[in-house]
Amino acid sequence: MPDMVTRTLRLTAPPDTVDTVHDLLESVWGSVTDLSPRDRMSLETAIIELTANVIQHANRGSGINATLTVIAYQDRIEATLSDSGEVDQVDLDGRHMPDAHELAESGRGIPLMKALVDSVEHRRVDGFNHWTLVRGRESAGVDRASSRGMPSVSISGVIDEMARQRALEELSILDTAPEERFDRVTRLAKSLFGVESAAINLIDGDRQWAKSVAGGAIIEMPREQSVCTDTVQGDDTLVVPELTADPQYAGRAQDGVINFYAGHPLYASSGERIGAFCVYDSQPRHFSEREQAMLRDLASWVQQELSVSQELSRAAEVQQGLLPAKMLSMPGWDIAGFCQPARAVGGDFYDWYPVGEGAAITLADTMGKGIAAAIIAATVRAVLRSAARFGDVTGAVNLAAASLNADLDTTGLFVTLFHARLDMDSGEVTFVDAGHGLTVIARRDGTIERLRSSSPPLGVDVDTEWEQQQVVLEPGDTLVTASDGLLDLYDGTLDALDRVAALAMLASSSQEVVDALRTRARGTSSDDVTVVVVRREP
Amino acid sequence: MDISIIPHPQGVTEVTVSGRLNMVTAARVREAIQAAVGDNRPRVAVNLAKVVFLDSSGLGALIAGMKTAREAGGDVRLVAPTEQVELVLELTNMSGVLRSFDSVESAYRDA
Repeated sequence: MPDMVTRTLRLTAPPDTVDTVHDLLESVWGSVTDLSPRDRMSLETAIIELTANVIQHANRGSGINATLTVIAYQDRIEATLSDSGEVDQVDLDGRHMPDAHELAESGRGIPLMKALVDSVEHRRVDGFNHWTLVRGRESAGVDRASSRGMPSVSISGVIDEMARQRALEELSILDTAPEERFDRVTRLAKSLFGVESAAINLIDGDRQWAKSVAGGAIIEMPREQSVCTDTVQGDDTLVVPELTADPQYAGRAQDGVINFYAGHPLYASSGERIGAFCVYDSQPRHFSEREQAMLRDLASWVQQELSVSQELSRAAEVQQGLLPAKMLSMPGWDIAGFCQPARAVGGDFYDWYPVGEGAAITLADTMGKGIAAAIIAATVRAVLRSAARFGDVTGAVNLAAASLNADLDTTGLFVTLFHARLDMDSGEVTFVDAGHGLTVIARRDGTIERLRSSSPPLGVDVDTEWEQQQVVLEPGDTLVTASDGLLDLYDGTLDALDRVAALAMLASSSQEVVDALRTRARGTSSDDVTVVVVRREP
Repeated sequence: MDISIIPHPQGVTEVTVSGRLNMVTAARVREAIQAAVGDNRPRVAVNLAKVVFLDSSGLGALIAGMKTAREAGGDVRLVAPTEQVELVLELTNMSGVLRSFDSVESAYRDA
């Protein structure tokens, strides 16, 4: 019989309700032996009352994010609900059971909860409310009269766990694709130590997820099966030479997969332990001091790569912040866009802003991916924005190209660009297409027109004369311009543009087109995908 | 949660609830009782034999239904509450007000 059963649930209400909590509790009760029916129904009722109260009041009814952790010890059960609600004080002591004969329809939840458990604690830490219920178990022979006010033993652990979880989520690394910079470390560890498996495991709520695996390592498993979950409890290297010989770990051995384990904790930059770098093998083995030192060296290498991830995720926030956040207020027009980089940051961007009686609209694609492309993309955006204030479309592109040429030459990059001015009254679109060629108009009558690219990309030829073209959007027409990543969402050819135009004809708003394409792009794309949709209302 | 409504002799209406009676389902139970009262059948027996869970929101719905029924000269009486339901009634001091019976027949034997 395990000493302790722990279950954690992340709750987002709506759509989650107290029914979600009932389901979690089913699984807890199923794993706790000898739980008396009275304990079970008292705890279930108290936990549901607590959850219902938090859902209804924590954010004044506007929905919550919360974590519920239930820990069953031999002598007691503790449940902690942590929510980010703005309401930070509840007068627990002042809540008394309403008089039965007054027939009040509400106000019984908290008094009922207090009557069902031995103690109720509330703490507010870092903007989170932590509510802990403790009930001594009948089977443990806890004297109910003397156990009143039983303090929790788990709450500080639960608060640490929440900090850990937040740090992990801020890394934005969970469920991302494998990356060579991590994979080469696990591969190296596997061959260096001559083990069957090596992994970078992250402890996420109630599961363990591997960012990188080598050999037969397991990508995802329930947390209670994980050995790394013990490694993250401390700062030392954990070595278990033979799991089956150790009562603490015997239950976590898996035949043919893991019976030896060595792991070292990994940290977020804010100091929380978020996972472990580990090696394991189906055969027991000795792991020398020297090997442990080597494992720590490799762990610190992984640590550095994780810091890069953290910086990249900050860079990604900055880059997303450069995209236009606001809709243009142009009566009769409807504009939407999205930009999904293949990596944390990318070389695509789109932009729009009011100019005269209309707007300037830009979509650009820097050849290349990642940070180098992102830096150039930000420069192109800034230069075009300032150039657009002087002169016409051709003038703006000329000025931008002239100022960027030296930079593009040095970096060896080039940029394809669609830059347009829209006159909101006449529907005239004046544009320069610099090697882009991925713009299409879906006409109201069902015809599809592709706009031709008339000149090379920026950065190819210093002496290019940018040629401006014109097209008119009539009511009911939709213009879609995209980066070449969009083509890969279909068959990879230009025919994809026709498919997107057909989609645009069926949609009733630009946002609808954008949402449909974003859904299609999610998680599947190896290239940056960027789309802008401009629709003239019928 | 499921609700079914069966008319019985002497104007008694049996409202059978199954599943969980909580903040998700409370409103439907209250409405079912109020509908019976609205049909001029204010003597309601709520059969709780299949209610696996009752919380304070569910209890609130039963009290609200009872108030409506009493105003119309009837009542709400509980039939075959499970152990958890009895626990909640007892701890909220409501067991003397929302009275429980073994069967629909015995619930209104006094009337």
